[in-house]
Amino acid sequence: MGEVILTMKGIDKSFPGVHALDHVDLEIRKGEVHALMGENGAGKSTLMKVLTGIYKKDSGTITYEGKEVEFHNTREAQDAGVVIVHQELNMLGHLTVAQNIFIGREFKKGIRIDDKKMNEEAKKLFERMHIDIDPTETMSRLTVGKQQMCEIAKAISHEAKVIIFDEPSAALTEAEIEELFKIIRDLRAQGLGIVYISHRMDEIKVITDRVTVMRDGTYVGTLITKDSTKDDIINMMVGRVIYEDPKTKNMTPPGAPVVLKVEHLNAGKMVQDVSFELHKGEILGFSGLMGAGRTETARALFGADPVDSGDIYVNGQKVTIRNPQDAVKCGIGYLSEDRKRYGIVVQKSVAENTTMADLDEFSNGPFIDKKKEKEIAQKYVESLATKTPSVDQLVVNLSGGNQQKVVIAKWLTRNCDILIFDEPTRGIDVGAKNEIYKLMNQLASEGKAIIMISSEMTEILRMSDRIVVMCEGKKTGELDISEATQENIMNMATREIN
Amino acid sequence: MANKSVTKTAGTNKSFIDRMGGQKFIVLLIVIAMFIFFCAMSPQFRKYTTVVSILDYSYYIALMAIGVAFPLMTGGVDLSIGTGLICYSLIGGYLVIHQGWPTGAGMVVSILLGVAFGVINGCLVALMDLPPFLATLCTCMITRGFGSLIVGGFGIPWPTAAAPGGWFRSIFKIKMGGQNIPIGFLWIIILVIIMTFVLNHTKMGRYTLAIGSNKEATRLSGVNVKFYHIMAYVICGFFTGLAAIAYSAIFATVQPGSGAGFELDAIGGAIIGGVSMTGGVGSITGTLAGVFVICLLKTGLPFIGLTANWQQIITGIVLIISVLIDILKREKEAK
Amino acid sequence: MKKKVLAVLLGGCMVAGLVAGCGSKDDGKATDGGDGGEGGGYHFEVVVKSFQSTYWQAAITGVDEKAEELGVTVNKTGPNAESDIADQVQMLNNAINQNPDGIALAANSQDAVLEALQTALDKEIPVVCFDTGVPNAPEGSVIATIATDNEAAGAVAAENMYEVIKDTIANATEQVRIGEVNQDATSANISGRGMGFINKMKELIEADGKTVAVVGNQYYVDQVENNGDEGSADVIIEVAVPAQTTVELSSTEASNIMTKEDTIAIFGSNQVTAEGVLTANQNLSVLAATPEDGVVGVGFDAGATLKAAVADGTLIGAVTQAPVDQGSLAIQALYDYCEEKEVKDIATDSYWYDAENMEDDDIAPNLYD
Repeated sequence: MGEVILTMKGIDKSFPGVHALDHVDLEIRKGEVHALMGENGAGKSTLMKVLTGIYKKDSGTITYEGKEVEFHNTREAQDAGVVIVHQELNMLGHLTVAQNIFIGREFKKGIRIDDKKMNEEAKKLFERMHIDIDPTETMSRLTVGKQQMCEIAKAISHEAKVIIFDEPSAALTEAEIEELFKIIRDLRAQGLGIVYISHRMDEIKVITDRVTVMRDGTYVGTLITKDSTKDDIINMMVGRVIYEDPKTKNMTPPGAPVVLKVEHLNAGKMVQDVSFELHKGEILGFSGLMGAGRTETARALFGADPVDSGDIYVNGQKVTIRNPQDAVKCGIGYLSEDRKRYGIVVQKSVAENTTMADLDEFSNGPFIDKKKEKEIAQKYVESLATKTPSVDQLVVNLSGGNQQKVVIAKWLTRNCDILIFDEPTRGIDVGAKNEIYKLMNQLASEGKAIIMISSEMTEILRMSDRIVVMCEGKKTGELDISEATQENIMNMATREIN
Repeated sequence: MANKSVTKTAGTNKSFIDRMGGQKFIVLLIVIAMFIFFCAMSPQFRKYTTVVSILDYSYYIALMAIGVAFPLMTGGVDLSIGTGLICYSLIGGYLVIHQGWPTGAGMVVSILLGVAFGVINGCLVALMDLPPFLATLCTCMITRGFGSLIVGGFGIPWPTAAAPGGWFRSIFKIKMGGQNIPIGFLWIIILVIIMTFVLNHTKMGRYTLAIGSNKEATRLSGVNVKFYHIMAYVICGFFTGLAAIAYSAIFATVQPGSGAGFELDAIGGAIIGGVSMTGGVGSITGTLAGVFVICLLKTGLPFIGLTANWQQIITGIVLIISVLIDILKREKEAK
Repeated sequence: MKKKVLAVLLGGCMVAGLVAGCGSKDDGKATDGGDGGEGGGYHFEVVVKSFQSTYWQAAITGVDEKAEELGVTVNKTGPNAESDIADQVQMLNNAINQNPDGIALAANSQDAVLEALQTALDKEIPVVCFDTGVPNAPEGSVIATIATDNEAAGAVAAENMYEVIKDTIANATEQVRIGEVNQDATSANISGRGMGFINKMKELIEADGKTVAVVGNQYYVDQVENNGDEGSADVIIEVAVPAQTTVELSSTEASNIMTKEDTIAIFGSNQVTAEGVLTANQNLSVLAATPEDGVVGVGFDAGATLKAAVADGTLIGAVTQAPVDQGSLAIQALYDYCEEKEVKDIATDSYWYDAENMEDDDIAPNLYD
């Protein structure tokens, strides 16, 4: 490890209602790989966005190569040599490798683009990285791993001195990860400072020199990787005080029947051999880090995405679910994590959204009984305490919490006994959150079975009777609430060292 | 990001125009204003016979527009209606004129062909996920060629009013006391009432608008989205079949190869009448009012002495303005 | 660019398919004749104005009959509408690229085809223009033009119309109006026909000591010599041109003229505009045999609708050309040229027909449905 190249000190950043970064420190040296770790929403991405000029910091200083700097956009950061390699690849599939690498700063020959020179320069880059990619190949024909290499080559071509890798290994195969590590080690040997964001504990151990841990927008501490254990890191990640009282015991009535049984469910890469049971009156929490496959499991179960294999039993009966219609017939309702895209029809009224799933109930043949529809909608507005001036109000005008209630009403009209809440309180303010929690508990006590997917540890611990933990498409553990702790959940949610 | 828990209290302070039906009402006022304007400008225009002519030429456009409003409201479009109309009319007429079928049977064939092509369009869009623009552009070419192929390139004169089998022409116009009574308008009004009911009070209409607003959310509500998406095109095809009959009844001869461009009149009428290009919003009454804006332009402009080129320019400008209004409205709603 | 070419090719294939479909029966015979015929083996390309009008179907009948008789093969193409000028030029170019022994062309635009004709000349492919001449064609490219004398045809319409309305004009105390609905003036025959009508009518009226003013479409008005003053003229000739050549728009233009109180007669100068006049009359019911009873209507060309209107007296008559002859003569001219015989321009006749003479032997064959 060499001298310090980049220091971020006391970085503070607030968004309306959220204190995203609270005096965070970070120090990167030349020739080190520095891991940045933390739970979902700990502020890692925000910190990197402040560094590369996407967000403007409220206070704090960034010192780069001995001078205080502030980048106003990614272009300025790039020009100075601070480059980010994104998790989602920003590649133009129809262009060639070289064209992608030099996009926005093409070599010119008169008014003509000098493709020949670009190809030569790209070739030199790849030689420097000791990898074999043809610069004239079309980008979309490369594997994801190779595309990632190109993204790195693009970063290096900016004469980068600090490269930030944001979960670079998420989409890569083992062999590709090996190659990636080789390149990273190479870059380290050349004296670059590298920030490595990942959830994968084993990778952290293998590749990084130091680890900085963040939690809830604050800086927790920095460790030397080789001197610390996985438990040390996890303790720093989750060691928060939980203000709300966690549930202490399973509230499901003893002997409650199994209403949903899923066996060996497979759906693409993100759902691999998932099995679990759900009881009447139970809230089953699904925990895990981003990209653990929880939403994918829910969507496959609901028929929104195709299932490769696996058996689903509802009330002991084996069922086939090919599309959401089948799922609804089985009494399964799904409340999406992205309400605006998948949950509600924003330009329609509260009443119309409420009855969307079950117009048959309100129809005589093909005709809709609007009076009955409004009565039912009104009933749920009252029982769920939805704040709306009338059931004719367009849902686009409601707040997030009230929109969520409309979606809940939609499934209740359908008499769904199995409800999947995917991030039920995302984008909902604190007061409304408690109302949603109360409602979920009430529904469970009335005998509904609830699956709750949540990325918030507090929410999981507060609401669940049992907890299923997933990691990278696989179920990695199942806990009763009485034995669940932040530490053991996080342990299951992060990949074991093989 | 924090979520603003603001609940707007709409409904209490609606403007007069909103209470009267919003854009529909404005378009209706424009139609009346245009009519008064043309009457003032041209003595030939303010004749009963001119009104009958305008209605005559409006039927097929109105029927197509009512139909195409449904694909438009799902966020799609059907470009095949213009050439489709001619195709269905040609084939129906061919059976009547050259194969000796009864007129009624020819009419039924026209409607069934419309429905069949509606099913094809619907399947291409809803099942095979082709972009509606592309799918219906292809069926536009197919119908154009298909109709001409069947009739061998010859124009088809459906039976005249006096000839045997010419009864169908009196569906749209009857003679009473020496005057033509445009009863076709009555049927159009009845169809508008029926389709307004379908749009607002049946699952078909509800889901058409829901697909246009948010197809994925509708699907995840357990709605058979594919079926209703196809049905929107089938309704469009059915009404194009009706439009083919109206066209056959009003005009003496149906010429193969014509029809391209009719769809623009119909789609333009629907959009002027407040059907959103991006789907989810629209009304049938507004569509009818929009059709009359188009028809008045087509009929009125020659009467005030504007030459052919000016007619096209003005029609184009009116369409641009109505699409701009649609965009502005959506931007306002997005805020 | 590639896509564009592909699209055009696809379009061409569709039209070719269409033609193959409609002419399939005849094609079979033509091939038989070709095998057995003498001196055959020639292949001609025929490009007509459109497949929209039955007029062109009649011309193609003439082409097919002559081709069978001479034992030559022909391939027929044409755009969907007469206003599809660019499509037709593309089809002409395609025809040239087939390297046929000759091309028969009915041009939609006199100007747009000039470049293609030069190419044909360079490739030494003889071209016969039928129906419509191309006056500015490159020297030597067009070996013969077989066309109706359109000025004369328009004049025939004017003369016959004037017979019926001349007493009314002579006795009129106030201004009277004669209408003419024309297709757009992009090709020589349509504009020639329109002007033939206008000039002849003007000449006849002025010969009887009345004054004439021509108003309406600027293109036509500009060509009138010694135009009278609209305010003071005894007779107004109003020329209307619809935005597109559709029955609907033609009929709107026609009703505009027909509803004017002083209108005594109207002339639709081709099949579509004449049908427009008839469609307008469905509501107006003003067409009559004499100016005293309403508006005197005269049509042009034929087709089932027009024939019926002439037969029942709705129109006092119409002028027909000889499309069958023209198609036949065009192929004959190409054949003669290939056989190194002399060919020259032919002006085909046009005939006045009314309820009395339309069954006559010299008229009936040219009255296609």
